[in-house]
Amino acid sequence: MRMIALIIIVLSGGLLLYATQDFPQWADPASPASLHLSPHYIQKSMEETSVPNLVTAVLADYRGFDTMFETTVIFCAGVACFMLLRISRQTPEDRYYRHISTGVTIHIKDGGKIPDKSKEFERIDTMWTPFDLVIKTVCRFLIPFIQLFALYVIAHGHHSPGGGFQGGVILGASIILLAISHNLRTATKRMNEKLIGLLCVTGVFIYAGTGALCLLIGLNFLDYSALASVLFLDPVSARSFGILIVEIGVGIAVMATMIWIYNNVSSAGKYDEGL
Amino acid sequence: MSQHYPALLVIVPLLSAFLISAAGWLNKRLCFPIAVAALSVACFSSVLLLFQVLDEKVVLYKLGGWSPPWGIAYSVDYLNGLVLVVVSVVALLNLIATQRNVEQEFSEKIGAFYTLYILFVTGLLGIVVTGDAFNLYVLLEIASLTGYGLIAMGENRAPLATLNYLYMGTIGASFYLLGIGYLYIVTGSLNMADISAILPSLYHSKTVLAAFVICIVGVWLKMAFFPLHAWLPNAYTYAPSAVSSLIAPLMTKVIIYVMIRLMLTVFTPKYIFSTLNVSDSIVWIAVIAIVMGAILALGQRNLKKMLAYIIVAEVGYMVGGAWLGNRAGMTGAILHIANDALMTLCVFLVVGNIVYKVKGYAFEDLKGLFRKMPFTMGAFVVGAMSIIGVPPTCGFFSKWYLISGAIQAGHYGFMVALLFSSLVNVILFFRVIEISYYEPFENHHGQESHPGKIAEAPLTMLVPLLIVAAGLVVVGVYTGDIVNHIIEFAIPKGIV
Repeated sequence: MRMIALIIIVLSGGLLLYATQDFPQWADPASPASLHLSPHYIQKSMEETSVPNLVTAVLADYRGFDTMFETTVIFCAGVACFMLLRISRQTPEDRYYRHISTGVTIHIKDGGKIPDKSKEFERIDTMWTPFDLVIKTVCRFLIPFIQLFALYVIAHGHHSPGGGFQGGVILGASIILLAISHNLRTATKRMNEKLIGLLCVTGVFIYAGTGALCLLIGLNFLDYSALASVLFLDPVSARSFGILIVEIGVGIAVMATMIWIYNNVSSAGKYDEGL
Repeated sequence: MSQHYPALLVIVPLLSAFLISAAGWLNKRLCFPIAVAALSVACFSSVLLLFQVLDEKVVLYKLGGWSPPWGIAYSVDYLNGLVLVVVSVVALLNLIATQRNVEQEFSEKIGAFYTLYILFVTGLLGIVVTGDAFNLYVLLEIASLTGYGLIAMGENRAPLATLNYLYMGTIGASFYLLGIGYLYIVTGSLNMADISAILPSLYHSKTVLAAFVICIVGVWLKMAFFPLHAWLPNAYTYAPSAVSSLIAPLMTKVIIYVMIRLMLTVFTPKYIFSTLNVSDSIVWIAVIAIVMGAILALGQRNLKKMLAYIIVAEVGYMVGGAWLGNRAGMTGAILHIANDALMTLCVFLVVGNIVYKVKGYAFEDLKGLFRKMPFTMGAFVVGAMSIIGVPPTCGFFSKWYLISGAIQAGHYGFMVALLFSSLVNVILFFRVIEISYYEPFENHHGQESHPGKIAEAPLTMLVPLLIVAAGLVVVGVYTGDIVNHIIEFAIPKGIV
């Protein structure tokens, strides 16, 4: 069996090498890829979309339809993780609580619990992490700056590398950092599961909804120039702002999906109390 | 509005999937109606789109308003116009038929289930409608990812089967992407029509050859063509019944459409049939696929897995027909996409009904079911006749075209394989029918306290099933019209 696998790998590698013989030269300005479509993007993207970063122009406008579905792929991943991992009904379980000031741990059987708001007891389970002053303080200081930077990355995708995907990941990472440095329960208190699920869908809906709005106004799907009449702009600037709107949608969707997947995977779908 | 049908077809299900996901959090009862409404709109626009194609030959839709080589364009012609109708109709009928199964199996996560269901259909519709090779990959990702999620929700062994499917499917999709990347290096374009216009000067390029091989192997992996089929039987068997009756009829058929699209539109018939000299060997692989699929199906002791192996054989039919290189074979392959989708839906819906009532699909669970579920089993007989190829059901006609294609091409091996698999199908289905007709019903789950509880499935499950069964005959009767008005024009003039 190993032999067969080895033969297949060598054969496919050989095929790939064989194909490179007819490749254009490395960085050849006369290669088909740089002659056919690229000149149009390079020369026209500014006057057609008024986006200085032409990668963003191609990604979110010329081929914006692909990007919408890439965002949907991320959404799918979030929903699939939720569907596969989330355990909604749990059998009554034993719980452990620790009295914070004395350090005495009590064991409650058959699903009994101490009121959530209790300040004197903390629940001890797989999600419980011991208190660590340095980590918690550093993270508490860092998180706002991470989030600010994420917003910058989303908003600045027009002019510099960045955009919704990168910004959304950074934004999501800030909440995940909160969950790691404190515990999952602290993070879900800030953003509960329902909110995350709804944010996730809101993000993709903003993208696809913007497209559908263009269609309703009377142009083709995702033709942002239709937004000119809504945003009171000329059609070219409307394209630029249309891109910003969908980038914000992407950012929200990516952030929420990141957190959603982290929550489901890290707690094996149990969260805290069940739905 | 009529110029927007290609977009509406994909966008309405997409937006509805998001609404369903939100409804899953807010009010679960809304999920199913939104799903039905979305797929009804998709169905409606696909039918209108087909009529539009009959008038205008090709319907082009520029997404974002950008012209094709620079932006993404949807391009609907006779070939995908037909497949779009099949996909949306099958998905809608299955959605309605399996409502009860879904409630039974996913009561808590109904929102997530229908979100993935509708996104899966969106992905398939997007694959079929697009005229852009990379856009096809993105939608393939959506269809695959949601498919993995849906299949993994099945029985105990489903997650393992899904993992296997995930590895194989990911390799298949990556191969396709790699092939498209190679094509982009030498042509500089991603639009299918544009690529095929540039390719003739590159017919002897080694890169194009490698791109072709990689793309085709990639789609073979995704469609479970014989030596690459290992993921399919377990994945389709252990999936929840509502999911297997969605994915089994549609996924492999849509990927076969992708293969035919690559052959006819991207690489062009001249390249694949004249420049390359591979069609004969591929038909021989198809012969092996058909024979092995039939033999492996014989060895199964449960209905669902037997049907899964029949799909492996049917994939061989269509690949072989497409690669015969003549008009009759290609007609048979395209017609069989539609027919096989319908008959697979029919038999898998029957399995769904049986699982709903009997909670099992092993052969022993089928004993005496003709008495208990006469309509369900009646539909099963129609579906079985169609798969065997008995006139006037539609399965007969596509097999007829495939066999006459094989004779025209002088490929008697393929003809013998088709006849052999029909004979094996006779054995397979009559064995099932015999068990369920002659053997007395037993209470096999030790539920002696509830004797005679098994009865016919509820009407919401039965009516769509009977519609599908009637559809098999109707499509069979109107085969001539479908071939003369649609498929005839879907095949380029170059193929005789």
